[in-house]
Amino acid sequence: MHVLLALAVGLLDGPSIRLDGRIDGKSNAAIEVRGIDGVAAAALMEGSWNREEWTAILAVRVVGAKKDDKTPALLGSYRIVDGVLRFEPRFPLAVGVRYRAVFDPSKLPGGREGKPVTAEFHQPKPAARATAVVQHVYPSRNKLPENQLKFYVHFSAPMTKGGSYRHVQLLGANGKPVENPFLELDEELWDPDGKRFTLYLDPGRIKRGLKPREEVGPVLEEGKSYTLVIDKQWTDAEGNPLRESFRKSFTVGPPDDEAIDPKTWKLAAPLAGSRSPLVVRLPKPLDNALLQRLLWVTDAEGNKVPGDVAVSEEETCWRFRPDKSWPAGVCFLLADKALEDLAGNNIGRPFEVDVFRTVQRELKQETLRVPFRTRQSQP
Amino acid sequence: MQPRLRIALAAVAALALSAGALCAEETRLKKGTPDLKSAGPIAFGPEGILFVGDPQGAAVFAIDTGDKTPGKADSGLKIEGLDGKIASLLGIDLKQLLVNDLQVNPVSGKVYLSITRGQGKDATPVILRINQNRELEELPLKDVAFAKATLPNASDKQRRESITHVEFVKGVVYVSGLSNEDFSSNLRGIPFPFKEANKGAGVEIYHGAHGQFETRSPVRTFTAYDIKGETNLLAAYQCTPLVKIPVSQLKPGEKVKGTTVAELGNMNRPLSMFVYEKGGKDYILIANSARGVMKVTTDEIDKIAGITNPIRGGGTAGLKYDTIKELKKVERLARLDKDHAVILAKTDDGSMYLNAIALP
Repeated sequence: MHVLLALAVGLLDGPSIRLDGRIDGKSNAAIEVRGIDGVAAAALMEGSWNREEWTAILAVRVVGAKKDDKTPALLGSYRIVDGVLRFEPRFPLAVGVRYRAVFDPSKLPGGREGKPVTAEFHQPKPAARATAVVQHVYPSRNKLPENQLKFYVHFSAPMTKGGSYRHVQLLGANGKPVENPFLELDEELWDPDGKRFTLYLDPGRIKRGLKPREEVGPVLEEGKSYTLVIDKQWTDAEGNPLRESFRKSFTVGPPDDEAIDPKTWKLAAPLAGSRSPLVVRLPKPLDNALLQRLLWVTDAEGNKVPGDVAVSEEETCWRFRPDKSWPAGVCFLLADKALEDLAGNNIGRPFEVDVFRTVQRELKQETLRVPFRTRQSQP
Repeated sequence: MQPRLRIALAAVAALALSAGALCAEETRLKKGTPDLKSAGPIAFGPEGILFVGDPQGAAVFAIDTGDKTPGKADSGLKIEGLDGKIASLLGIDLKQLLVNDLQVNPVSGKVYLSITRGQGKDATPVILRINQNRELEELPLKDVAFAKATLPNASDKQRRESITHVEFVKGVVYVSGLSNEDFSSNLRGIPFPFKEANKGAGVEIYHGAHGQFETRSPVRTFTAYDIKGETNLLAAYQCTPLVKIPVSQLKPGEKVKGTTVAELGNMNRPLSMFVYEKGGKDYILIANSARGVMKVTTDEIDKIAGITNPIRGGGTAGLKYDTIKELKKVERLARLDKDHAVILAKTDDGSMYLNAIALP
């Protein structure tokens, strides 16, 4: 019945190609050929055909800059439904891409007369909306040690991955770019949301005694000024450029080769029974991301106290507000020794250990515990 | 204990032959659909098993490709405009495509590619291979036998370890990575078949510059090489030197210092490498970001010992190397068979091609 109907339509109108569904990058739209001769459709349904045979009959290709018949047809599956030849692409059709479908009746089983039928499908991209911005670059301060190790670039929206290093530059005081300052990784360092990009300065030019540093010198030099520039051509995950470029200017001080020493931290104990924050003042700024994760608080029994961390004052102040009121008595601030400062020095271990200096002893335990006593309210 | 191999990085190929047939039970692979969140570096194990590093999902998958029929590698393989062809196959434009890695199945000689289709939330991992007609086809990931090893930081909110290289060496899948937060240096060895209990504790890798300044040193890429009967990893650090690390030292929780065997020049990043034998000698072929493809001799690699005294003025230990002038803009290379390699490279106009070459 369906075959006969299709046969009739075919005889009247000839084959035509249409899109069934929407091109939105998400939905499973299909491309259909209607009006195929019923005998051929039945033969297609009953036979077993490989990809080459199917694509000879119906192929959907991306229309590129170059005209190339050798361009492979889209991956997908073919079937006959009610006399209609249906191509279901393996992946959702993408917005902004032009697709050309070609149906060639001469390649149908037994061959049919008629010229190839062509149709193009295209869902244009919405006009570029440059809304994403660089919200912040850590470290926040504008005086950095000569052996500064990395930057975190925080965006307001998920960004495009791949080719990111094209969009960052480090300019010297003369406005000229510093040559190859960054560690460029094929596998770029993003957080799971694609909103935070980690940018390492080339460690080969930071570490002493390595050829890159000895031959071309360190990336940053004490006493000089630099500007980190993030180009607005960097696109968000939707393909839109940034609203504006971002610049962070800073001067460079001496290298910091000292391990982090929690003995130098100043703790302001909170009031027992209150939810006021524990405030920890750090004599030098520490890594913003690690301050969120590698410092925490336990009660006297060692149970982790749930609460929120806030880092401020150019990463020299760590505040912890508990979800519930502070108990009276002793609590502990715990620090994982993997905590880093701006130059990658850890607790008890500098970034570079001079093995000929025996004074630098390494901390054995993984975490360090700093006790504090919650304050009693005045009577 | 696996049988010791005389020549190294035939490692993967040789292992496929020497390990004998592994049944499904032994590999602990189960039928299903691997929940790959991303497809980064890849490596082949025995019996057509493909290891896929998934940095986004913080995991390594072992996937049975079913590609187990011994075959001759296609030494005439050449595909021009590879990126355009892949983009068309996947129905996207070039900007939406990332080609992450290339490897060869040593059993069949077929070339596999690890791909990201799309950006942001819609990014989809895809594994493609090149069939005997030199056409690209997708490796189906539905209802395949697979196993998954989760890396320890899978549950962290923002911290991720970018997987820089994966390699299967004598029953162990080695994974190198670099964290997006701490300058850590974990190299994990995960015994295969994967066991629930062993997630592969990391080994901290250090580098001693001139024996004096010791730092943690994340590894960018590595390959296996047997030196006087002892399996070593030849590893390129993110801070450039090429080092050797005996596999026997890679014990979970240990701290290991690599011995510098070559300095490959500044402003340069090694991208991809393997060891091969030619005319009775072993060489390392290395693709670099800025200094082309190098053929490094392994002569006297066994004699290079750790430097215990400081050397001033940029003194370096070093294997000798030649730069292969004809090979330009090579981003990935893999051993195709005993006489050939396959390269993934870019032309001057930026389009990607894939080419089989005779080993230099």
